[in-house]
Amino acid sequence: MYGIAIAIVVFIISQSLFFAVKSWKHGKKLGISSETLKNTVISTILFTLAPSISILATVIVLANALGIVLPWIRLSVIGNLAYETVAAETALGVIGGSLSNPVDNPAAFSTIVWAMTIGACSPLIYLPLVCKKLQNKIGSTVNKNESTKKLGDVLSAAAFIGIISAFIARAINSCTTTKEIVLNEAGEEVTKNVITESSGVISILTLICATVFMLIFTALCKKIKRLEKFESFAMPLAMFAAMGCAILFTAVLPEGLRTFTWYSVGGVM
Amino acid sequence: MKTYFDKLHKWGAIWNYAALAALFMVPVAISIYLSQWPSLGVLAKILPPILILYWPTGIIETVTYIPMLGAGGTYLSFVTGNVSNLKLPCGLNAIENAKVRANTEEGEVISTLSIAVSSIVTTVVIAVGVLAFSPVLPKITAEGSVFKPAFEQVLPALFGALGAGYFFKHWKLGIAPILSGVVVLIFAPTMGVGILMVITIVVSIAGALIIYKNLWLPEFRRMKEAKKK
Repeated sequence: MYGIAIAIVVFIISQSLFFAVKSWKHGKKLGISSETLKNTVISTILFTLAPSISILATVIVLANALGIVLPWIRLSVIGNLAYETVAAETALGVIGGSLSNPVDNPAAFSTIVWAMTIGACSPLIYLPLVCKKLQNKIGSTVNKNESTKKLGDVLSAAAFIGIISAFIARAINSCTTTKEIVLNEAGEEVTKNVITESSGVISILTLICATVFMLIFTALCKKIKRLEKFESFAMPLAMFAAMGCAILFTAVLPEGLRTFTWYSVGGVM
Repeated sequence: MKTYFDKLHKWGAIWNYAALAALFMVPVAISIYLSQWPSLGVLAKILPPILILYWPTGIIETVTYIPMLGAGGTYLSFVTGNVSNLKLPCGLNAIENAKVRANTEEGEVISTLSIAVSSIVTTVVIAVGVLAFSPVLPKITAEGSVFKPAFEQVLPALFGALGAGYFFKHWKLGIAPILSGVVVLIFAPTMGVGILMVITIVVSIAGALIIYKNLWLPEFRRMKEAKKK
C-alpha cells in the first residue's frame, strides 16, 4: 500500500515539475523577468503551506476509518477536502458504518476504494475532450478587438468574484452536517444529519481580519518603496495573520461570544 | 508550426490519461492485494448519489476554470485536486501579482507555474506529514489544541485575503454575488460550495454585464471618440 502511494506521489511531482519547467522556459522566451517568475514560485509556496496542512488534517480524519494510505492517495490525486469526506461517508452509509469507526471488512474497503475513484475521475475523462475547443473559442471571442478584450477582462473578474463570493458567503452563513445514528424519542435508532461545523463570530472576524490585513499590507507595499518587491507576499502573510487572529479571538473572547455560531454544533437538522 | 497552446493541450491530454490510468491502478492493486473485488450490486447502490453530486459539478467546474486558469493550469489542477479551495486562488493570485492577463500566453505561463509549484508543495506536505508527523498531527488539530481554531478558519482567512484586493478594485461587482450567496444559504445552509458557486457566478456575471453595458461601455466609447478627435 505504501508503495502505491509513493508511486502516485512520484507521478504527481513529475507531472508538476514537467509543467513548471516548460512554463518557466516559455516565460523566459516571452520576456518575463526571472524576478517575476521567482516571486511567483516563492509566493505560491507560502500561499500553499497553510491550506496543505488543512488537507493533511483531512487525511488524518479519514485515516481513522480508512487507514492512512488510502486518504493519502485520494487527497494527492484529484482529491478534494470536501469531496473525499462526503464520498467516503456516502459509501459507508450504504455499506453500514461511519467515519468514526475503522473499516476492517476487506470487501467493504475494496468497494469504498472503487466508489471514491469512480466518483472522482470524471474531469480526467472529459477535460482533454473539451479543453482545447473551449480555450480556442474563448481566445478568439475575447481577443477580437479592444472592446471585447475589455469585456473579457470584466467577465473573468466577475466569474472570479463569483467564486470568492461563494466562499465568503459560506464563511458568513453556513453549516456542515454528517449523517449519524441517533436515538429518537421512542428510543429507536434513526439516521439524522448532525451539525459538525457552523459559521459564527470567529469565522466572520477571521474573514474581516484577513481583508483588513491584506489591504494594509498592499497599501504599505505600494507606499514604501523598499517594500514594493514584497507585494506578492502580502496575500499569504495576510492569511497567516488572520489565522493567528482566530487563535487570539478564541483565547481572549468570552466563552458565550467565541462559541456563538448561527447553527448549534452537535444539534440535529 | 505548433503554438505553445497546441503543445500544452497535447502534453495535458497525455498526462491526464496517464493520471487516469494511475488513478485506477489504486483500486485494482488494492483489490488484488486483498483478493476482494467490489460487489457490483453494492457499487450500484453507492455510486448514484456520488455520481449525481460530483459528475455534473465536475462539468461545471471544468467549464468555469478553463477561462481563468488556462489550459496548463486546468490540466494540472484536475489531476492534483483541491481546485476551488487551493489551486484556483493560487493561480489567480499569481496572475494578479505578476500583472499579466488571463487568456494570454503570459497569463498561461504564470498560472501553470504557480499551480505546478502549489501541487508539489501540497504533495510534499501530505507525504512528509503522513510519513513523519502522523502521530503528532492529530494533537495539533485535535479538540482543545491552541492551533485548532487557526486550521478551522483556513478558508475564511484565505478567501478574505484573496477577496480584499478584488473587492476593493471592483466593489460594484462584489455586492450582488455575496448577498445572493448569503440569502441562498439562509434557506439551504448546508449547500456545498460547488453548487453555491454556480449561483454566485451567474449573479456576478449578470451584474457585471449590466454594469458594463450601462456604465463602462459608454465610458469606453467616449474615451475612444476623444482619442479620435
